[in-house]
Amino acid sequence: MSEPMLTVDNLLKHYAGAERNVFDGISFDVPKGKVLVIIGPSGSGKSTLLRCVAGLEPIQGGTIALNGQVIDRGEPGNEKSGRAKRSSQLRTKIGMVFQSYDLFPNRTVLGNITMAPVMVQKRPKPDVEREAMELLKRVGLADRAQAKPHELSGGQRQRVAICRALIEHPELMLMDEVTAALDPEMVHEVLDVVLELADAGQTMLIVTHEMQFARAIADKIIMIDSGGIVETSDDPEAFFAHPTTQRAQEFLRTFEFSRHRRTEKDGAGAQTA
Amino acid sequence: MLDWAFVSRYAPFFVTGAEMTLFISVFGIALAILTGLVCAAIETARIPVLRQIVRVYIEVSRNTPLLVQLYFLYFGLPKLGFVWSAEMCAIIGLGFLGGSYMSEAMRAGLEAVPQIQRENAYMLGLSSRQTMLHVVIPQAISTSIPGVVANVIFLIKESSVVSAIALADVMYMAKDLIGMYYTTYEALFLLIVTYLIILLPISIIGTWLERRFDYAKR
Amino acid sequence: MQSANILLQPGVMPRLLQGLWVTIWLAAVSVALSVPVGLVTGWLMTLRNPVIRVIMRIYLDFIRIMPQLALLFIAFYGLARAWDWNLDATGACVFVFVLWGGAELGDLVRGALESIPAIQYESSYMLGLSNWQTFTHVILPQAVRRLLPASVNLATRIVKTTSLATLLGVVEVIKVGQQIIDAHRFDYPAGTLWVYGVIFAMYFVVCWPLSMAARYLEKRWANE
Repeated sequence: MSEPMLTVDNLLKHYAGAERNVFDGISFDVPKGKVLVIIGPSGSGKSTLLRCVAGLEPIQGGTIALNGQVIDRGEPGNEKSGRAKRSSQLRTKIGMVFQSYDLFPNRTVLGNITMAPVMVQKRPKPDVEREAMELLKRVGLADRAQAKPHELSGGQRQRVAICRALIEHPELMLMDEVTAALDPEMVHEVLDVVLELADAGQTMLIVTHEMQFARAIADKIIMIDSGGIVETSDDPEAFFAHPTTQRAQEFLRTFEFSRHRRTEKDGAGAQTA
Repeated sequence: MLDWAFVSRYAPFFVTGAEMTLFISVFGIALAILTGLVCAAIETARIPVLRQIVRVYIEVSRNTPLLVQLYFLYFGLPKLGFVWSAEMCAIIGLGFLGGSYMSEAMRAGLEAVPQIQRENAYMLGLSSRQTMLHVVIPQAISTSIPGVVANVIFLIKESSVVSAIALADVMYMAKDLIGMYYTTYEALFLLIVTYLIILLPISIIGTWLERRFDYAKR
Repeated sequence: MQSANILLQPGVMPRLLQGLWVTIWLAAVSVALSVPVGLVTGWLMTLRNPVIRVIMRIYLDFIRIMPQLALLFIAFYGLARAWDWNLDATGACVFVFVLWGGAELGDLVRGALESIPAIQYESSYMLGLSNWQTFTHVILPQAVRRLLPASVNLATRIVKTTSLATLLGVVEVIKVGQQIIDAHRFDYPAGTLWVYGVIFAMYFVVCWPLSMAARYLEKRWANE
């Protein structure tokens, strides 16, 4: 069994002035080289969970550990403190791709990708540019290296965003509903890239509501609702085919459609006034 | 219809007037931009006491006419011992008034940068300073350009008021000519033409700039 | 400071207030008359007739690009003579302010109407509403919300612009102030500071509530 890359232990999150906690002590881990997918209904807090792991939101209880080292400890009362004070180096170890595919608009595609490795990781520019071009080639955008973000489609921008996060060689990649804001025809081109990353062994924590995709990519799956884990499974195929808990069953059913056609057997002459 | 001989003989006066207008405007606008930058920075950084002072300054300068501000500076302050030249008063007046407008335009630009840009910079490991310098400010500049240009045009127009404290700008020349020679139409003609020559190009550049920097807003 | 007493002299404050009243009256009349002019202008701008559009475009661009003081001069010294009007200084001021205010308001109206998405017209059409019903029940309420804050802002600007009337000789608050300063030149030499200070404060007292109102309206309707 591989060492867990990410361990979340007893996470408690609370918004100032809210009645209930967002999370009441949630625990899970992401094994190294594996993909954990989080699913759940809207408002269940899946994005918040990801943002807590990212350090964008403060936590009030529990711990978050990366590669065995605790990187965040919950402190009650710190609801208003904003982003976690993590060192630059630590932040480069976790990469995040957001739902809104915003790139830095004043820089080219290549500039977007090379900015952080040069400025933060202090790597030499020529090496960084070479690697950036390789990444762009992998996602099929090598010819757009000099383009500005506004010239690209949403799907293209999102692929660049993935490159931008990848070039820092993060140990853990976080993906927050990365295709939710895209037009349907662009969803596949982005998810194909993510699938390829999984095949290459990148440890990932993914929040998504694309069920087919979740089924294909997950090594482990967690369903969240109302601040707690409803169901965990190390066998995603089994989970999707036969979820154990009732809430999971109801949730998965919301993605299916069936049509009730009236047949003659349903009662003749049943015309409503 | 118009006495063209008169027009050509007195056109040079309007050139001199235009020079004065531009002189006052350029320095007034520079002072306004500087003031605006400082104020916008103070408000965005939320520095405690200074922030309130800036707010008061903005409200006061935006709710009083430039003419009264100029009269106060030129006729009033000397009684307190501050005697400045008319040019000085004009530049300070324009800078004082313009500063608040510039500050609002720049602050709007800063606030328009989406939070997610800062979050992306955070996740990539950039320090606060790097984020400000390389991510937030470039985008803020792009967004505030239309507002700043509009203010520039506004300030050049407002500069016509400095004729009231006897500065020989375009407006003053026109008034003078009308008063001296009763050649109203010729003077007004030169007045209109001079201002159009100054303001139309800037207006067109402004529209061009606006379009060029619009990409920042998706 | 002893010179502050100039303000306590008999007749000084009442006269200043009277001047302020002239200022307010001037602004109010201009604002009131700008409204019909602005509405008509805005409506004319949305018409598709190319000739009308060009004429309106030129008129609007000219009025908005020329400094107001220049417009006042053109109206007072130029147009009144050319068209043989017996326009006094006050009349010229109102004339210019109404044209200028109307031009600005017309642009605001046009902007407000254009910013209403086509879908509003289309959904109303699909629901079967007549043009008039669509305009009064769907378009107008939305247009007013986008219009009002900027219009109140325009009113503030008109109040400030009335200060230029002094330079044409209209006896409003600044001119009154100057008369007072002149009359007391010897007994209250530093009166200049105080009189202009009061006038400064008076403009602020009139304009600031308007600015606040505009901001309040904007915030209140921002989330719609």
